[in-house]
Amino acid sequence: MEFTFSDDQRVYQQSLAAMLAKEVAPETIRGRWSTASGFDPGSWQQLVDMGLTAMLIPEDLGGLGLNEVDFVLLAEECGKVALPEPLVDSALVASQLLVDLVRCNSDFASRGTELLQQVAAGTVQVAAGHMINPYLNFAAEADWLLLGHGEEVHLVARDQLQLQAQKSLDPSRRLYRVAWTPSAASRLVDGQQGAQLWRIALNRGALGCAAQLLGLAQAMLQQAVKYSSDREQFGRAIGSNQAVKHLLADCAVRIEFAKAVVYRAAYTTSVGPARADCAVSHAKVAAADAALLCARNCTQVHGAMGYTWECDLHIWAKRSWALDKAWGDNGFHKNRIHEWLLNPRALLGAEYTFGASNRAFDISTEPLTAETSS
Amino acid sequence: MKLSFSKQDEQFRAEVAAWLQANLCGEYETIRWRGGPGDEHMYVEERKAWERKLHEGGWTCIGWPEAHGGRGASIEQQVIFNEEYARAGGPGRIGHIGETLAGPTIIAFGSDQQQQRFLPGILRGEEFWCQGYSEPSAGSDLANVKTRASFDSDTQQWKISGQKVWTSLAHESQYCFVIARTDPDSVGHKGLGFFLLAMDQAGVDVRPIEQLTGTSEFNEVFFDEARCGANDIVGLPGDGWKVAMGLLGFERGVSTLGQQMLFQNELNEIVALAKRNGAARDPALRARIADAHMGLRIMRYNSMRMLSGGVDDGALQKSAMIYKLYWASWHRNLGKLAMDVLGDESEILEAAPYQLGRLQSMYLFTRSDTIYGGTNQIQRNIIAERALGMPREPRG
Ligand SMILES: Cc1cc2nc3c(=O)[nH]c(=O)nc-3n(C[C@H](O)[C@H](O)[C@H](O)COP(=O)(O)OP(=O)(O)OC[C@H]3O[C@@H](n4cnc5c(N)ncnc54)[C@H](O)[C@@H]3O)c2cc1C
Repeated sequence: MEFTFSDDQRVYQQSLAAMLAKEVAPETIRGRWSTASGFDPGSWQQLVDMGLTAMLIPEDLGGLGLNEVDFVLLAEECGKVALPEPLVDSALVASQLLVDLVRCNSDFASRGTELLQQVAAGTVQVAAGHMINPYLNFAAEADWLLLGHGEEVHLVARDQLQLQAQKSLDPSRRLYRVAWTPSAASRLVDGQQGAQLWRIALNRGALGCAAQLLGLAQAMLQQAVKYSSDREQFGRAIGSNQAVKHLLADCAVRIEFAKAVVYRAAYTTSVGPARADCAVSHAKVAAADAALLCARNCTQVHGAMGYTWECDLHIWAKRSWALDKAWGDNGFHKNRIHEWLLNPRALLGAEYTFGASNRAFDISTEPLTAETSS
Repeated sequence: MKLSFSKQDEQFRAEVAAWLQANLCGEYETIRWRGGPGDEHMYVEERKAWERKLHEGGWTCIGWPEAHGGRGASIEQQVIFNEEYARAGGPGRIGHIGETLAGPTIIAFGSDQQQQRFLPGILRGEEFWCQGYSEPSAGSDLANVKTRASFDSDTQQWKISGQKVWTSLAHESQYCFVIARTDPDSVGHKGLGFFLLAMDQAGVDVRPIEQLTGTSEFNEVFFDEARCGANDIVGLPGDGWKVAMGLLGFERGVSTLGQQMLFQNELNEIVALAKRNGAARDPALRARIADAHMGLRIMRYNSMRMLSGGVDDGALQKSAMIYKLYWASWHRNLGKLAMDVLGDESEILEAAPYQLGRLQSMYLFTRSDTIYGGTNQIQRNIIAERALGMPREPRG
């Protein structure tokens, strides 16, 4: 067993962190709030240049062939800076769904491959509108949208649909309600296959959300630790009070324990995305809990300052509140865990920490029962 | 023990209800249910007019003694008034700082002259007050105020200079009660004065602070030799801390009843929403709704018990001390419950540029409940040190 990241994975993470630190500061995020699109093509290009839009696409389809374990740390970094651009949903969900479509619909293979090459090169953007999310973030930036009609998957050009903008509590998010008319021409797979693909997309979406929440949580905690060291009351730093220390120590504990869960879910998704329901749901719940606790306690530690628009903390807090509900809320994911646990065929013995095999860290033998829940 | 209201009280209830029914309508229909926590910035002019309307009916400051223009209403009657007011959807009381904080303080500690000068404006719903306590370096450590007050013997006036911050409704107020240092060499809670200061003057500069909600209910207030009459200090120079703390005592008194009724309305709205959108079918949310109901009942029973004087074993002090921590935490959780019941819609605003729905405003506002009026941490320290007599924390 090796529950760690490789040097390469860490190096990639560090270089993305360095780039984001330069490109995405609180001031630049606030700058985006007052623009019509909320999207910064310059930042996006930087992400493309670093290979982020290509990395999860298999090599034979023109990408770098990396997987969710490689990506999870990067998604976490996106959360740390509260990146507004929809990189995680785009790279982890939409382009992966395209890959799945290429693999299961031979008629679509050549067109899909071409599209993926454009996605990898950053010349085209694709978004996936999953029915679990009533609103699609940054839909207006996408050239193509993957949309569900019942269980079918359709590929629709942006000019073939109507977008109705909705204001989000998080001013960085640009939500749209999407109205469109399905046709035989836009349908790529039918119901039976579609249901499976959408389930996998949900797992990837929720995993990406969890990783970002983990990053958001850490960024908030870092700000509160700094503030509690700088701000003085009663002649000393407020952070010297146990009451303040304990608020933040609780956050740290919640974050560290959520990490293991999120990383495990990334692994499971990388080896069997259709069997990852339970692991992903656990990750989403644990990471959202950590981020919500951080939003609450870190605001508290900032006193009235934390209740202002001027204090940067709410950039992260509001994203956390939004992502808590995106790709399935706490109730949805806990239900998936219940369903899995209460299934009579669930393999729950001591030897099943990582699935049906206690001999190897091999998730491919994850209990079949995970597959039967939806 | 008798947990019911007398015949006379029920008559009083009918009177309140009838008046509200006859008056909270027509031009005031739009402000029903508005102006509560997180919604204070809405319909300000209409709500000011409503204060005057309330006064016409004799419904402002009902708990004040008759000698000061109130009704001398009993605790029971005040409870009833607040219940009926909430039931009718009475708007958030823009005059509450004057009615429940400034007024009672002036009645308790002020001179005859101050009472004659300041109380009628509050009663008539014409003069509004704000609270000038906090400063950039005096939040939890309130005694660290740096604003200075010096007596100018030429003009026979106090000159006040310094900065207040987080001053709620300062931009809507004619007066501010200010704690300022009268003894420039003093530190801590000695050497402070409590001033009744007119806001409409050259030496006062009010600048709004934008909140999480995108709206501004609180402000920075700068005093640059602001003038305050020789007679407008409550008590003597040096009494400021005593008066300031006396005022905070009123914060935990009867004013809590109206607040609980607002809470009840919010909870009702959440329950109605949960039934409408199906959230009520989720067992986890049902359990939290039940918790919220129980928590509110606990607060309500405790307030009644405390206010009816039934607590005579010295625990009164304690129940007053624990109240802020309890309601603030309860309300914060209610905010979260509202968002979870809203589900996906919790993220969607009503309109551009940043117009929040009522429950969203409530949620954001409740992030501050555990901060203003003494943070949860400070409340716990007070409970541990003053109510339980535990050793004091070292102070810097
Ligand atoms: C919505 C709102 C409205 C307000 N309205 C008014 C108003 O009208 N008038 C007015 O005067 N003020 C007002 N305030 C200010 C309010 O009273 C202060 O915010 C509050 O006293 C806390 O002070 P602070 O914000 O400076 O936080 P700080 O005192 O800096 O506290 C920061 C953090 O440190 C903790 N802390 C500090 N000291 C200790 C300690 N000794 N032990 C343990 N923990 C500690 C606090 O609990 C908090 O978590 C308002 C505040 C808000 C949010």
